[in-house]
Amino acid sequence: MAEDETWGIAHVHASFNNTIITITDQTGAETIAKSSGGTVVKQNRDEASPYAAMQMAEEIAEDVQAQGIDGVHVRVRGPGGNQQTNPGPGAQATIRALARAGLEIGRIEDVTPIPHDGTRGPKNAGF
Amino acid sequence: MSERSVSKQKQEKRWYTVQAPEQFDREELGKTPADEPDKALGRTIETTLGDLKNDASGNNTKLTFKITEVASDTAYTEFIKHELTRDYLRSLVRRGSSKIEAYITVLTADDYRVQIQPVALTTKSADESQEKAIRRTMIDLVRENARERTFEDLTDSVVEGRLSSAIYNEAKTIYPLRRVEIQKMTLEARPEEVAAEEEASVDVDE
Repeated sequence: MAEDETWGIAHVHASFNNTIITITDQTGAETIAKSSGGTVVKQNRDEASPYAAMQMAEEIAEDVQAQGIDGVHVRVRGPGGNQQTNPGPGAQATIRALARAGLEIGRIEDVTPIPHDGTRGPKNAGF
Repeated sequence: MSERSVSKQKQEKRWYTVQAPEQFDREELGKTPADEPDKALGRTIETTLGDLKNDASGNNTKLTFKITEVASDTAYTEFIKHELTRDYLRSLVRRGSSKIEAYITVLTADDYRVQIQPVALTTKSADESQEKAIRRTMIDLVRENARERTFEDLTDSVVEGRLSSAIYNEAKTIYPLRRVEIQKMTLEARPEEVAAEEEASVDVDE
Protein backbone atom coordinates (compact mmCIF):
# COMPACT_ATOMS: atom_id res chain seq x y z
CA MET A 1 0.00 0.00 0.00
CA ALA A 2 1.21 3.52 -0.78
CA GLU A 3 2.85 5.40 2.06
CA ASP A 4 0.88 7.56 4.44
CA GLU A 5 -2.46 7.19 2.79
CA THR A 6 -5.48 6.40 4.84
CA TRP A 7 -7.80 3.92 3.29
CA GLY A 8 -11.31 2.93 4.15
CA ILE A 9 -13.88 0.45 2.98
CA ALA A 10 -17.01 1.54 1.15
CA HIS A 11 -19.79 -0.93 1.79
CA VAL A 12 -22.39 -0.54 -0.90
CA HIS A 13 -25.62 -2.41 -0.33
CA ALA A 14 -27.49 -2.01 -3.58
CA SER A 15 -30.89 -3.63 -3.53
CA PHE A 16 -33.69 -2.98 -5.97
CA ASN A 17 -35.54 -0.72 -3.55
CA ASN A 18 -32.72 1.24 -2.01
CA THR A 19 -28.98 1.82 -1.93
CA ILE A 20 -27.13 2.07 1.34
CA ILE A 21 -23.56 3.34 1.41
CA THR A 22 -21.46 3.04 4.54
CA ILE A 23 -17.83 4.03 4.67
CA THR A 24 -15.83 2.48 7.48
CA ASP A 25 -12.20 2.19 8.43
CA GLN A 26 -10.21 -0.76 7.15
CA THR A 27 -11.28 -3.09 9.90
CA GLY A 28 -14.93 -2.32 9.32
CA ALA A 29 -15.38 -1.58 13.01
CA GLU A 30 -15.68 2.20 12.90
CA THR A 31 -18.17 3.96 10.67
CA ILE A 32 -16.88 7.15 9.11
CA ALA A 33 -19.84 8.18 7.01
CA LYS A 34 -23.10 6.70 5.85
CA SER A 35 -26.00 7.52 3.63
CA SER A 36 -29.01 5.91 2.05
CA GLY A 37 -31.42 6.69 -0.74
CA GLY A 38 -33.94 8.53 1.42
CA THR A 39 -31.52 11.33 2.21
CA VAL A 40 -31.48 12.65 -1.34
CA VAL A 41 -34.81 11.82 -2.99
CA LYS A 42 -38.43 12.32 -1.99
CA GLN A 43 -40.14 9.47 -3.74
CA ASN A 44 -39.67 6.01 -2.32
CA ARG A 45 -39.39 4.47 -5.72
CA ASP A 46 -36.39 6.67 -6.56
CA GLU A 47 -34.30 5.48 -3.65
CA ALA A 48 -32.63 2.79 -5.71
CA SER A 49 -32.03 4.97 -8.75
CA PRO A 50 -28.54 5.58 -10.08
CA TYR A 51 -29.14 9.29 -9.75
CA ALA A 52 -29.77 9.03 -6.01
CA ALA A 53 -26.69 6.86 -5.65
CA MET A 54 -24.63 9.47 -7.42
CA GLN A 55 -25.85 12.27 -5.15
CA MET A 56 -25.17 10.18 -2.07
CA ALA A 57 -21.72 9.18 -3.22
CA GLU A 58 -20.76 12.77 -3.92
CA GLU A 59 -21.89 13.92 -0.49
CA ILE A 60 -20.23 11.04 1.23
CA ALA A 61 -16.98 11.48 -0.66
CA GLU A 62 -16.77 15.07 0.47
CA ASP A 63 -17.50 14.14 4.06
CA VAL A 64 -14.96 11.37 4.06
CA GLN A 65 -12.23 13.41 2.44
CA ALA A 66 -12.72 16.06 5.10
CA GLN A 67 -11.93 13.35 7.62
CA GLY A 68 -8.73 12.42 5.89
CA ILE A 69 -9.56 9.32 3.86
CA ASP A 70 -7.74 9.16 0.54
CA GLY A 71 -9.00 5.95 -0.97
CA VAL A 72 -11.51 3.20 -0.49
CA HIS A 73 -11.83 -0.48 -1.20
CA VAL A 74 -15.33 -1.24 -2.34
CA ARG A 75 -17.53 -4.09 -1.17
CA VAL A 76 -20.66 -4.37 -3.23
CA ARG A 77 -23.57 -6.52 -2.29
CA GLY A 78 -26.98 -7.21 -3.74
CA PRO A 79 -29.95 -8.50 -1.79
CA GLY A 80 -28.56 -12.03 -1.77
CA GLY A 81 -29.89 -14.86 0.35
CA ASN A 82 -32.78 -16.39 -1.51
CA GLN A 83 -33.29 -13.21 -3.54
CA GLN A 84 -31.30 -11.78 -6.44
CA THR A 85 -27.54 -12.17 -6.28
CA ASN A 86 -26.91 -9.25 -8.59
CA PRO A 87 -26.38 -5.81 -7.12
CA GLY A 88 -29.08 -3.25 -7.89
CA PRO A 89 -28.87 -0.21 -10.17
CA GLY A 90 -27.18 1.99 -7.56
CA ALA A 91 -23.97 0.00 -7.27
CA GLN A 92 -22.25 1.00 -10.46
CA ALA A 93 -23.25 4.64 -10.16
CA THR A 94 -21.88 4.77 -6.63
CA ILE A 95 -18.46 3.49 -7.61
CA ARG A 96 -18.30 5.83 -10.55
CA ALA A 97 -19.29 8.84 -8.49
CA LEU A 98 -16.82 7.98 -5.73
CA ALA A 99 -14.04 7.79 -8.28
CA ARG A 100 -15.14 11.04 -9.93
CA ALA A 101 -15.13 12.79 -6.57
CA GLY A 102 -11.43 12.14 -6.27
CA LEU A 103 -11.35 9.12 -3.99
CA GLU A 104 -8.96 6.43 -5.03
CA ILE A 105 -10.66 3.10 -5.64
CA GLY A 106 -8.80 -0.02 -4.57
CA ARG A 107 -10.20 -3.49 -4.75
CA ILE A 108 -13.78 -4.02 -5.75
CA GLU A 109 -15.27 -7.12 -4.24
CA ASP A 110 -18.67 -8.73 -4.42
CA VAL A 111 -19.87 -9.76 -0.97
CA THR A 112 -23.44 -10.75 -1.77
CA PRO A 113 -24.52 -13.37 0.73
CA ILE A 114 -24.87 -16.68 -1.09
CA PRO A 115 -26.72 -19.44 0.69
CA HIS A 116 -25.20 -22.89 0.88
CA ASP A 117 -28.83 -23.86 0.80
CA GLY A 118 -31.52 -22.71 3.08
CA THR A 119 -35.18 -21.90 2.80
CA ARG A 120 -37.18 -21.74 -0.39
CA GLY A 121 -37.11 -18.38 -2.11
CA PRO A 122 -40.23 -16.23 -2.39
CA LYS A 123 -40.13 -16.59 -6.18
CA ASN A 124 -40.29 -20.36 -6.10
CA ALA A 125 -42.94 -20.53 -3.41
CA GLY A 126 -46.19 -22.20 -4.26
CA PHE A 127 -44.65 -25.33 -5.71
CA MET B 1 -21.02 19.76 6.27
CA SER B 2 -17.51 19.76 7.59
CA GLU B 3 -18.39 21.24 10.99
CA ARG B 4 -20.71 18.38 11.56
CA SER B 5 -18.50 15.69 10.11
CA VAL B 6 -15.41 16.21 12.24
CA SER B 7 -17.32 16.03 15.45
CA LYS B 8 -15.88 16.21 18.91
CA GLN B 9 -16.30 12.52 19.34
CA LYS B 10 -14.15 11.80 16.35
CA GLN B 11 -11.40 14.17 17.38
CA GLU B 12 -10.91 12.23 20.56
CA LYS B 13 -10.20 9.09 18.63
CA ARG B 14 -6.68 8.08 17.83
CA TRP B 15 -5.56 6.31 14.74
CA TYR B 16 -3.62 3.12 15.29
CA THR B 17 -1.36 1.74 12.63
CA VAL B 18 -2.00 -1.94 12.13
CA GLN B 19 1.05 -4.08 11.60
CA ALA B 20 1.32 -7.57 10.14
CA PRO B 21 2.93 -10.32 12.22
CA GLU B 22 6.65 -10.98 11.99
CA GLN B 23 6.04 -13.82 9.58
CA PHE B 24 4.85 -11.27 7.02
CA ASP B 25 7.72 -8.84 7.59
CA ARG B 26 5.76 -6.52 9.87
CA GLU B 27 4.26 -4.83 6.84
CA GLU B 28 1.81 -1.99 7.47
CA LEU B 29 -1.72 -3.20 6.88
CA GLY B 30 -3.72 -0.06 7.44
CA LYS B 31 -5.08 2.18 10.14
CA THR B 32 -8.00 2.03 12.49
CA PRO B 33 -9.42 4.70 14.80
CA ALA B 34 -10.44 4.00 18.39
CA ASP B 35 -11.10 6.10 21.46
CA GLU B 36 -9.66 3.50 23.80
CA PRO B 37 -6.84 1.12 22.92
CA ASP B 38 -8.83 -1.83 24.27
CA LYS B 39 -11.56 -1.23 21.74
CA ALA B 40 -9.18 -1.95 18.90
CA LEU B 41 -8.54 -5.45 20.18
CA GLY B 42 -10.23 -8.22 18.26
CA ARG B 43 -10.82 -6.21 15.14
CA THR B 44 -9.96 -7.98 11.94
CA ILE B 45 -8.33 -6.52 8.88
CA GLU B 46 -8.26 -8.02 5.45
CA THR B 47 -5.70 -7.60 2.71
CA THR B 48 -4.70 -9.47 -0.38
CA LEU B 49 -1.45 -11.31 -0.69
CA GLY B 50 -0.60 -9.06 -3.62
CA ASP B 51 -0.83 -5.95 -1.46
CA LEU B 52 1.25 -7.49 1.27
CA LYS B 53 4.05 -8.83 -0.87
CA ASN B 54 3.81 -6.25 -3.65
CA ASP B 55 3.32 -8.70 -6.46
CA ALA B 56 0.21 -8.75 -8.58
CA SER B 57 0.05 -12.55 -8.81
CA GLY B 58 -1.26 -12.78 -5.27
CA ASN B 59 -4.37 -10.75 -5.88
CA ASN B 60 -6.64 -13.76 -5.63
CA THR B 61 -5.78 -14.52 -2.06
CA LYS B 62 -7.26 -12.73 0.88
CA LEU B 63 -5.51 -12.80 4.22
CA THR B 64 -7.23 -11.82 7.43
CA PHE B 65 -5.42 -10.62 10.51
CA LYS B 66 -6.77 -10.06 13.98
CA ILE B 67 -5.52 -7.39 16.35
CA THR B 68 -4.16 -8.97 19.51
CA GLU B 69 -2.07 -6.28 21.11
CA VAL B 70 -2.02 -2.50 21.11
CA ALA B 71 1.00 -0.45 22.11
CA SER B 72 1.16 3.36 21.89
CA ASP B 73 -0.04 3.93 18.34
CA THR B 74 0.68 0.56 16.81
CA ALA B 75 -1.58 -2.45 16.80
CA TYR B 76 -0.08 -5.92 16.45
CA THR B 77 -1.90 -8.69 14.72
CA GLU B 78 -1.94 -12.41 14.24
CA PHE B 79 -2.81 -14.38 11.15
CA ILE B 80 -6.23 -16.00 11.34
CA LYS B 81 -7.51 -16.71 7.86
CA HIS B 82 -6.39 -17.37 4.33
CA GLU B 83 -9.04 -17.41 1.65
CA LEU B 84 -9.37 -17.32 -2.12
CA THR B 85 -11.51 -14.54 -3.51
CA ARG B 86 -14.93 -15.56 -4.63
CA ASP B 87 -14.53 -14.38 -8.21
CA TYR B 88 -11.28 -16.32 -8.67
CA LEU B 89 -12.72 -19.54 -7.30
CA ARG B 90 -15.75 -19.14 -9.50
CA SER B 91 -13.56 -18.56 -12.54
CA LEU B 92 -11.89 -21.92 -11.96
CA VAL B 93 -15.10 -23.89 -12.03
CA ARG B 94 -16.01 -25.09 -15.50
CA ARG B 95 -18.67 -27.23 -17.04
CA GLY B 96 -17.78 -30.84 -17.66
CA SER B 97 -15.04 -31.01 -15.07
CA SER B 98 -15.08 -32.13 -11.49
CA LYS B 99 -14.46 -30.03 -8.45
CA ILE B 100 -13.13 -32.03 -5.56
CA GLU B 101 -13.24 -30.43 -2.16
CA ALA B 102 -12.20 -31.56 1.27
CA TYR B 103 -12.58 -30.06 4.71
CA ILE B 104 -9.88 -31.11 7.11
CA THR B 105 -9.47 -30.05 10.70
CA VAL B 106 -5.98 -30.77 11.99
CA LEU B 107 -3.71 -30.10 14.92
CA THR B 108 -0.31 -28.71 14.00
CA ALA B 109 2.95 -29.73 15.65
CA ASP B 110 2.66 -26.87 18.13
CA ASP B 111 -0.98 -27.59 18.97
CA TYR B 112 -2.79 -25.00 16.92
CA ARG B 113 -6.05 -26.28 15.52
CA VAL B 114 -6.65 -25.20 11.94
CA GLN B 115 -9.14 -26.06 9.27
CA ILE B 116 -7.79 -26.45 5.76
CA GLN B 117 -9.98 -26.68 2.69
CA PRO B 118 -8.17 -27.81 -0.43
CA VAL B 119 -9.92 -27.89 -3.77
CA ALA B 120 -8.86 -29.73 -6.92
CA LEU B 121 -10.23 -29.16 -10.40
CA THR B 122 -9.90 -31.79 -13.08
CA THR B 123 -9.62 -31.35 -16.82
CA LYS B 124 -12.58 -33.62 -17.53
CA SER B 125 -15.29 -35.08 -15.44
CA ALA B 126 -13.77 -37.72 -13.16
CA ASP B 127 -15.38 -40.87 -11.85
CA GLU B 128 -16.60 -41.09 -8.30
CA SER B 129 -13.82 -43.54 -7.43
CA GLN B 130 -11.18 -41.21 -8.83
CA GLU B 131 -12.67 -38.29 -6.93
CA LYS B 132 -12.57 -40.34 -3.78
CA ALA B 133 -8.95 -41.30 -4.37
CA ILE B 134 -7.94 -37.69 -4.96
CA ARG B 135 -9.80 -36.59 -1.86
CA ARG B 136 -8.02 -39.32 0.09
CA THR B 137 -4.58 -38.10 -1.01
CA MET B 138 -5.53 -34.51 -0.21
CA ILE B 139 -6.58 -35.45 3.29
CA ASP B 140 -3.53 -37.62 3.90
CA LEU B 141 -1.10 -35.00 2.64
CA VAL B 142 -2.64 -32.20 4.67
CA ARG B 143 -2.68 -34.36 7.82
CA GLU B 144 0.93 -35.35 7.32
CA ASN B 145 2.05 -31.80 6.60
CA ALA B 146 0.25 -30.40 9.61
CA ARG B 147 1.63 -32.97 11.99
CA GLU B 148 5.22 -32.16 11.04
CA ARG B 149 4.98 -28.41 10.92
CA THR B 150 4.38 -25.59 13.33
CA PHE B 151 1.50 -23.24 12.70
CA GLU B 152 3.84 -20.66 11.23
CA ASP B 153 5.45 -23.09 8.81
CA LEU B 154 2.09 -24.44 7.80
CA THR B 155 0.71 -20.98 7.01
CA ASP B 156 3.84 -20.28 5.01
CA SER B 157 3.43 -23.40 2.95
CA VAL B 158 -0.25 -22.67 2.37
CA VAL B 159 0.27 -19.01 1.51
CA GLU B 160 3.19 -19.68 -0.81
CA GLY B 161 1.32 -22.50 -2.48
CA ARG B 162 3.76 -25.28 -1.60
CA LEU B 163 1.06 -27.42 -0.02
CA SER B 164 -1.23 -27.14 -3.03
CA SER B 165 1.55 -28.00 -5.47
CA ALA B 166 2.48 -30.99 -3.33
CA ILE B 167 -1.10 -32.18 -3.58
CA TYR B 168 -1.07 -31.50 -7.31
CA ASN B 169 2.03 -33.60 -7.88
CA GLU B 170 0.70 -36.45 -5.80
CA ALA B 171 -2.82 -36.51 -7.20
CA LYS B 172 -2.17 -35.88 -10.88
CA THR B 173 -1.29 -39.54 -11.39
CA ILE B 174 -4.84 -40.45 -10.37
CA TYR B 175 -6.57 -38.15 -12.82
CA PRO B 176 -5.29 -35.18 -14.89
CA LEU B 177 -5.76 -32.08 -12.80
CA ARG B 178 -6.15 -28.54 -14.00
CA ARG B 179 -5.56 -26.76 -10.74
CA VAL B 180 -5.16 -27.41 -7.05
CA GLU B 181 -5.63 -24.64 -4.53
CA ILE B 182 -6.13 -24.25 -0.83
CA GLN B 183 -9.41 -22.38 -0.89
CA LYS B 184 -9.48 -21.62 2.78
CA MET B 185 -7.45 -22.00 5.90
CA THR B 186 -8.77 -20.82 9.22
CA LEU B 187 -7.30 -20.75 12.68
CA GLU B 188 -9.78 -22.47 14.96
CA ALA B 189 -8.03 -22.67 18.31
CA ARG B 190 -4.73 -21.68 19.86
CA PRO B 191 -2.66 -24.09 21.99
CA GLU B 192 -4.09 -22.70 25.24
CA GLU B 193 -7.65 -23.18 24.05
CA VAL B 194 -6.92 -26.69 22.86
CA ALA B 195 -5.39 -27.53 26.22
CA ALA B 196 -8.35 -26.02 28.07
CA GLU B 197 -10.73 -28.10 25.99
CA GLU B 198 -8.84 -31.25 26.77
CA GLU B 199 -8.96 -30.44 30.46
CA ALA B 200 -12.67 -29.87 30.33
CA SER B 201 -13.43 -32.96 28.28
CA VAL B 202 -14.78 -36.03 30.00
CA ASP B 203 -13.77 -39.55 29.12
CA VAL B 204 -16.77 -41.23 27.59
CA ASP B 205 -15.56 -44.78 27.10
CA GLU B 206 -15.07 -46.81 30.19
